[in-house]
Amino acid sequence: MRRMWIFSLILILTGAYIFTAEQKTEHFYNVDKEITVEGTILEIILEPRYKGSAPFLILLLEQDQSKEKYYVEVSPIWFFEQDFHKGETISIIGSRYSGQEGTQNIIAREMRSKGKTMTFRDKRGFPNWRGGQNNRQMRKKVKKY
Amino acid sequence: MKSRGFFLFFYLPLIGMAVIFFLLSSLNRRYISNKVEELVQEQLEATADILKVNIAHLLDENITPERAFETYFQEEKIYYMALLDEKKEIIAWSSRFEGYLPLSKEFTEDQGSWIIDSPVGPIFNNFSYFSTKNQGIYYLYLGYSLQNLEDMLFHSRRNFVLIFSLIILVGVIFFFGLFQIQKHYLIKETETEKEKKEKERYMEISAFTSGVAHEIKNPLNSLVLLFELLQKRFPEQFKKDIEAGENEVRKISRIIDQFSSALKPLELKKTLVSFGDLIEEVKQIVEINASSKGTKIKLIKKGQINVNADKDLLRQALVNLVENALEAGTGGKIIITIDAYKKRKIIKIEDSGGGIPQEDREHIFDPFFSTKKNGMGIGLYLTRKIIKAHEGKISFEVKQKKGTVFTIELPGG
Repeated sequence: MRRMWIFSLILILTGAYIFTAEQKTEHFYNVDKEITVEGTILEIILEPRYKGSAPFLILLLEQDQSKEKYYVEVSPIWFFEQDFHKGETISIIGSRYSGQEGTQNIIAREMRSKGKTMTFRDKRGFPNWRGGQNNRQMRKKVKKY
Repeated sequence: MKSRGFFLFFYLPLIGMAVIFFLLSSLNRRYISNKVEELVQEQLEATADILKVNIAHLLDENITPERAFETYFQEEKIYYMALLDEKKEIIAWSSRFEGYLPLSKEFTEDQGSWIIDSPVGPIFNNFSYFSTKNQGIYYLYLGYSLQNLEDMLFHSRRNFVLIFSLIILVGVIFFFGLFQIQKHYLIKETETEKEKKEKERYMEISAFTSGVAHEIKNPLNSLVLLFELLQKRFPEQFKKDIEAGENEVRKISRIIDQFSSALKPLELKKTLVSFGDLIEEVKQIVEINASSKGTKIKLIKKGQINVNADKDLLRQALVNLVENALEAGTGGKIIITIDAYKKRKIIKIEDSGGGIPQEDREHIFDPFFSTKKNGMGIGLYLTRKIIKAHEGKISFEVKQKKGTVFTIELPGG
């Protein structure tokens, strides 16, 4: 019963966000800017990111060594299955970009938490919730003319 | 020999055919795929050129790149687009997939086209520059869906698999048939060769035996005459011994006659013979012998069966078989069954003897092969010769519990 309530709430929020979402075109998964960050979750945020898409799960992450803070764009909330909480330590592989307000952001490709690895995008940044890497075997080579 | 034949006439041609088809088909598909990719590349480069001209025009009109993108991003097959300045920094971009713009330094070094694979199929990428009227240099990066090409290749692969499976199936049937024909031909050839050798051998034996028989018979006849003369001239007390001597000479003469007749080719004098009457006659011939051994002979007649055969020879063949059955054991019984199945006339002679030892089974129809103390080994040989002369078949089966069943099959009737 409790799960049903949570699921319904997520659906309502999703619907509401889809209609109000605006695509922020300043960021994309840039493979040239891929980094790995290990840190602690400070905050869990739900936020619209792309036009016409469900709200995304955003984590405010503090890097363990440098104490630098990153907003990590994970995936649409419906795609994220792992249960986690503030204060937990996670490791992120993703593409880094700077926000307009000077914030540091990461588009997550892979997340490691509690011994589990979750993959959100393929190596070129294709979102797994839009077909996913399980759909087909990726061609390793790029054919260039 | 069999496995070699199977390899040469089945596996080798089948695998050869499959490999040739596979190679030709693969080369063909590769060629078509490359050609189609080239065509798609040309078409998409042309599309990119049109887009560049239009975007340049909009930029000249001071329309923002975002608005320009909105205009041209309606095309369903465009997955993503990006406009870069002369330093190759992205000014504006748009993508159908959240945050997906697979542009890296690896690709922006030079202008060109390439295909990358993605979970939604291969994407054709084009990176090229253009300039506006006010000498502004821009680069357009375009990702175009190649789903149609992928669908076509998928259908091509599916058709290839279907045709390949069909060819393999037909090949298996064809080459298996070919192998069977070849095997049949080889068996026939071996049989013919064996028969030819056997014929030559028996012709030699026949000629030799006839010669020997002829040479022996003349002095034997003289001996018989001599014994007859001696019987007349000698006193009464020697007559019994002389008669015994004469009988022995006559016995030798009979044996020689039997050998000669066994080796001579048979000349059939066919008439319509009733199987029922024939086995009655056979029973009468062997009855005394059977009674002395305490063996009962039972006749089973399944209908009135007639056959076109040489009655005397057929009777001789059956007598041989029944006498063999009698010698197989004392007591018990012999069952003679006559039957007809379709156009075949069947006689079965079943005894309750000890059967035939495993090692003798393949030799029992050989001439001069006998396991009996006084046997000459021509009875079964002659029987088979008579049955074969009637274009029939003779076989035997050793029963698991006790006894042997000889089966004669004769054609027509």
